[in-house]
Amino acid sequence: MLCDTARAVFAEASATGMTPIEEAGFDLLLVSEDQGGFGGDWGDVDAVLQIAGVAVPELPVAEFIVNEALLAAATVSLMAGAMAQAFALSIDHVNTRQQFGRPLGKFQAVQQSLAVMACEVRAVDAAAAALAARLDAVGRDPLAADFEIAAAKLRANRAVGVVTAIAHQVHGAIGFTGEYDLHRVTIPLMRWRSAQGNDAHWAQILGRQVGGFGGRGLWEAMAARGA
Amino acid sequence: MQGFALYPFDPPGDVAALRTDLRGWLAMNQPQDDVVARANCWASFDPDFSRALGAAGYVGMTLPAQYGGGDHHPLERYVVIEELLAAGAPVGAHWIADRQTGPLILRYGSEEQRERYLPGIAKGELYACIGLSEPGAGSDLAAVRTIARETTEGWRINGQKIWTTGAHFSHIMLALVRTEEGSERNAGLSQLLIDLDTPGITIRPIIDMAGHHDFNEVFFDDVLVPHGALVGTRGQGWKQVTAELGLERSGPERYLSSHALLAALVDAAGPDPDPAVAGLIGELTAEMWTLRQLSMSTAAKLAAGEDPMVEASVVKELGNAFEQDMPRRVQAIVDCAWDGDTDLAKLLRALLIASPSFSLRGGTREVIRGIIARGLGLR
Ligand SMILES: Cc1cc2nc3c(=O)[nH]c(=O)nc-3n(C[C@H](O)[C@H](O)[C@H](O)COP(=O)(O)OP(=O)(O)OC[C@H]3O[C@@H](n4cnc5c(N)ncnc54)[C@H](O)[C@@H]3O)c2cc1C
Repeated sequence: MLCDTARAVFAEASATGMTPIEEAGFDLLLVSEDQGGFGGDWGDVDAVLQIAGVAVPELPVAEFIVNEALLAAATVSLMAGAMAQAFALSIDHVNTRQQFGRPLGKFQAVQQSLAVMACEVRAVDAAAAALAARLDAVGRDPLAADFEIAAAKLRANRAVGVVTAIAHQVHGAIGFTGEYDLHRVTIPLMRWRSAQGNDAHWAQILGRQVGGFGGRGLWEAMAARGA
Repeated sequence: MQGFALYPFDPPGDVAALRTDLRGWLAMNQPQDDVVARANCWASFDPDFSRALGAAGYVGMTLPAQYGGGDHHPLERYVVIEELLAAGAPVGAHWIADRQTGPLILRYGSEEQRERYLPGIAKGELYACIGLSEPGAGSDLAAVRTIARETTEGWRINGQKIWTTGAHFSHIMLALVRTEEGSERNAGLSQLLIDLDTPGITIRPIIDMAGHHDFNEVFFDDVLVPHGALVGTRGQGWKQVTAELGLERSGPERYLSSHALLAALVDAAGPDPDPAVAGLIGELTAEMWTLRQLSMSTAAKLAAGEDPMVEASVVKELGNAFEQDMPRRVQAIVDCAWDGDTDLAKLLRALLIASPSFSLRGGTREVIRGIIARGLGLR
């Protein structure tokens, strides 16, 4: 339901800008029902932003829905959505484009590349879902989810290089054109890797936090923070 | 993305208490002598430890009580396994029996087989090995040639297995053999449960590049085993083995085998690590955290009775890459003599040498990627 609404609204917004998103009241997604909001959780935010990351990557949807302290977390969802789309386009392309008398997807080298890409896409999806679970468990307190925000944004950042490279490689020249849709997700992915903290930024923060835990403490902290 | 839904990891019971009890037990019972044994610890053989662990109720946890098991939920077992691996406990002796042979006997075995083998497995006293690979059948497992002919007295086995981890200390082998003469590829294969003290079996060590004796060659020369050695359905061996490999590929061992090295790196770096080391620790931690989420989700899917073949392969692929990358990256930035005697140096050397095997055992990287590609509908 929510996803269907988001898809319809974002489709309109991609032509006209933020107005349909504002009118649909997406800023009320996380506001509780007794305060007139939608009463959603971060799982809902994740789902909506994954769609936004594909449909309207250039609009400030994340900024509209969540407060500034949670923008890094929100960016992970945008990235997860865009990566899933880059992957879907790639699968579709290798199944239809023929060379040497066969679809590209029948060649083992291409299959192995797409398997690598699938792993990255799934990893980022898992990171986004685990981050959502943590945020919901701690009342969306960014400090209580600092470890997960750092780990998930860093993991998503690291996936960008692999995912964009393989997506473009298996597409060939058509994926490099302005007309074809691939760049509509790969360029935003490149941009989001720098936004809200690049790899080095989060690696330092996470590495220093873990240094404080100590070797054994790292495991104890990880186990205590989920399941 | 279709088929990629994440399963919530939600074990029954008091998980925090389960962890606390086990950590308390380990503090009293885990041997502390050898730091290198704590890395890749599911290859560390220590029957005394296995027996004690079994007596404490941490082996055969998911088997039914009537066979000596703990009647626990698979996700409770998962929690125990990740704690054991994170602590580097020497679980190698009972590892394969507990992880896959026991569950497979429960699922496909006869009542007689269950009664005969499961109690010993749950005690941490009965050890098993996996007889799949042969000289001519590596990645191409369907090329298995070892043959078992049915006679009036039982099955007569001739042939050879290779790379069989732990055959030299195991009591039983679960072997994939050809039971239909002249059959081809994955038809006509069956699983036999073979007592390794049966006459006609010769086990020869193969020393690995680290100088360890972990794997073996096993020869079968007119070996006679009873009719009751057949596990499951004659001719369905391929299907049964595939199910077994799902148990093998997605567990926490796929990202916790090298945890001792990460812990030693963190300890060596101290509470105020220099930026290069902090950055490396951060990246390794993010990968480990992500892998844990993937592995838990896969375990939850398996526990829900579904087949996580592709998900399990994703865990193995990313986990192997993580664990092979880690020692290389540590070596690249930490100044540490090759033959140094700090914990960090010893673990680093041991894992640099051990890690090439990670993307070979349990299915090679290329085979695993092929399984993922099949799951994507490309093959
Ligand atoms: C430490 C260790 C423990 C093991 N323990 C056991 C055990 O207990 N029981 C057991 O049965 N086996 C065991 N094995 C064996 C293991 O399962 C095999 O090594 C593995 O299946 C690969 O077979 P192979 O070594 O014959 O390599 P090969 O199959 O000869 O492969 C060599 C290389 O070629 C690649 N390759 C092969 N075919 C293809 C293809 N069609 N397309 C692309 N690339 C291809 C492979 O991916 C690999 O990189 C163990 C192996 C190791 C290293």
